[in-house]
Amino acid sequence: MKMEMFHLMPYRELPEDFNERYHSVWVDIPSELFDAERAHSFYNHTLDELEYAAQMGYDGVCVNEHHSNAYGFMPSPNIMAGALARRTRDTAIIVLGNSIALYNPPIRVAEEFAMLDCISGGRLVAGFPVGSSADTNFAYGMNPATLRDRYYEAEDLITKAWTNPDVFSYDGKYTQLRYVNIWPRPVQKPHPPVWVPGGGSIETWGWCIEKEYLYAYLSYSGFKRGKVVMDGFWKQNDEMGADRNPYKAGFLQLVAVADSEQEAEDKYGPHGEYFYNKMLHVYPGFADAPGYRTLKTVEAGLLQQTTQFGQRPKGLSWKDLLEQGNIVAGTPKQVTEQLEQVIKDLRIGHLMVLNQFGSIPHELTMENIHKTAQEVLPNLRHIWDGEYEDKWWPKPMAHPQRPAPVPFADAVAAK
Amino acid sequence: METTTVRVRNGAFETEVLKGGSGQPLLYLHGEMGADERGFLDELAGRFEVTAPRHPGYGASTGDDHLIELHDMLYYYLDFLDEVGLRDIPVVAHGLGGMFALELAAMQPERFRKLAVIAPFGLWDAVNPVPDFFVFSPDDLKQANFHNPDSSAAETMAMPQNEGDTQAILERVKSQRVAAKYLWPIPNRGLAKRIHRVRMPTLLLWGASDGIVPVSYADDFAGRLPDASKEVIPEAGHLAHLEQQDRVLAALDRFLS
Repeated sequence: MKMEMFHLMPYRELPEDFNERYHSVWVDIPSELFDAERAHSFYNHTLDELEYAAQMGYDGVCVNEHHSNAYGFMPSPNIMAGALARRTRDTAIIVLGNSIALYNPPIRVAEEFAMLDCISGGRLVAGFPVGSSADTNFAYGMNPATLRDRYYEAEDLITKAWTNPDVFSYDGKYTQLRYVNIWPRPVQKPHPPVWVPGGGSIETWGWCIEKEYLYAYLSYSGFKRGKVVMDGFWKQNDEMGADRNPYKAGFLQLVAVADSEQEAEDKYGPHGEYFYNKMLHVYPGFADAPGYRTLKTVEAGLLQQTTQFGQRPKGLSWKDLLEQGNIVAGTPKQVTEQLEQVIKDLRIGHLMVLNQFGSIPHELTMENIHKTAQEVLPNLRHIWDGEYEDKWWPKPMAHPQRPAPVPFADAVAAK
Repeated sequence: METTTVRVRNGAFETEVLKGGSGQPLLYLHGEMGADERGFLDELAGRFEVTAPRHPGYGASTGDDHLIELHDMLYYYLDFLDEVGLRDIPVVAHGLGGMFALELAAMQPERFRKLAVIAPFGLWDAVNPVPDFFVFSPDDLKQANFHNPDSSAAETMAMPQNEGDTQAILERVKSQRVAAKYLWPIPNRGLAKRIHRVRMPTLLLWGASDGIVPVSYADDFAGRLPDASKEVIPEAGHLAHLEQQDRVLAALDRFLS
């Protein structure tokens, strides 16, 4: 079993009356709420937290891409990954990912991921999300009718750019290149493992299974709704006659660990409520541009289970969030038991854990990381041991071939 | 009127066409909502031999998969018009269909005798932008399309209001997906560079309360078209021909006679 710390990097200090005063946390959130000097702290705290997670025992660290979004403002997760690649040594660097349909030409992603793989010595996981509608269609203006088609073409081009040793031409519907020849090339051969974060579009399942890409269901809806989606995934997997290796599946869960249930509520309650009630205050119209979801997905009636934004219940309490499975919280023992059940019920080999959510400040985040990594993860690691091989994990270079960064101090500071 | 199917490009497209009436042939191109316009078309069919195709992706018309961007659609329409043998004809068109009609007229000005467009898309005015109607709630959409959203005309625009209305939701998702292909994120595909070629007499009809394409665009279009007249329809929204059918028909009668 592999466990990775996931960070959305939210803006932790939105005003109390945000929902009343503002239209949406995403797409048209006003710049007056953005304090760049506070953001300096948030970015650096985020990096500190991910590095600490690596130090405390997480197998990997995850960063992702959002645009015009206060609950996640890493428009370029690759910049974060670059910093993480320097400060960590053996941890997997999981970029979940780059919305490959947005980049023109998409070989930009092939290049940057190859750079990250070289800098990290082969520790990169390359995430290829279609991207949410708010990010791709609204913030980046991509046409919803052709987004998925572009996505498939971009995946084709990027994997060819990684694996074809020759200079070649590419005559796509959306990208035409006379010379495809990326420099650098990835360390991992034929290329870094590909993970596909999905929001529940059903055609993504079959595609991942066929391509042998990991499918990661990233939602904030918690494990109860997650089960509906993952059951669909496994049903499709079985119908296609694929093996039932749980490592091909991943899931995201919000987790808070404390010494007692009461302490968990006292410490994390307001932050959980901040996340669900404030950070997910997204104008419903931005949830789903026309054509973003395929007719097949709409028809399958999954809309209700998979729409994260829009018709959300208002004013969720900490108690509601625990009951619905949005957040797993409690003592190390309680959290361990619940996560073990999640892992087995959803049949996942990769559990991505949000230890920082909503407004959890830096110090408390570090405490949560420490408790989760030290008192919960060790009890889960044995699951699936000896049963299956994780074919979706990076294969780094051997240590002796990888020089560590030399100790460093700014010359300016000494003056 | 009766529904027929026209096969275009060896069946790559199977187009649902409403056909009816007698007299001079006339082409009608519908707007982005794919609203129920049978009442209006029946009236037109009392005056002309009307051919009203559904755009690929709307209703039973197929072939949308072959279309990526505007020019794919325009060449499809040239094939369609060849197939049904329409040339030297007047055209009436609304909204998205109006944008197609103007583009087709710029491509082949000799093909169209007269053009009557109701609240077409195609230009962009940053001071008076077309709102992002794709994110409108059903109620907002009704407000924008009708001066009086409680009128009987407004009832023709079926808006799925709840999750259980699957068929209506699907139909709407399907048609809005197609509309977005030509209108997202900004309904400007460069018509301003070509509109000077639309040389035939052109009538611009606009609902005074249009909440989709603001009525100020009537002047923008009129200023760019070589031979344009305009008529603003009072107490009408974007679907002016449904809300003020008689006024629109009267204007069409004057223009097309």
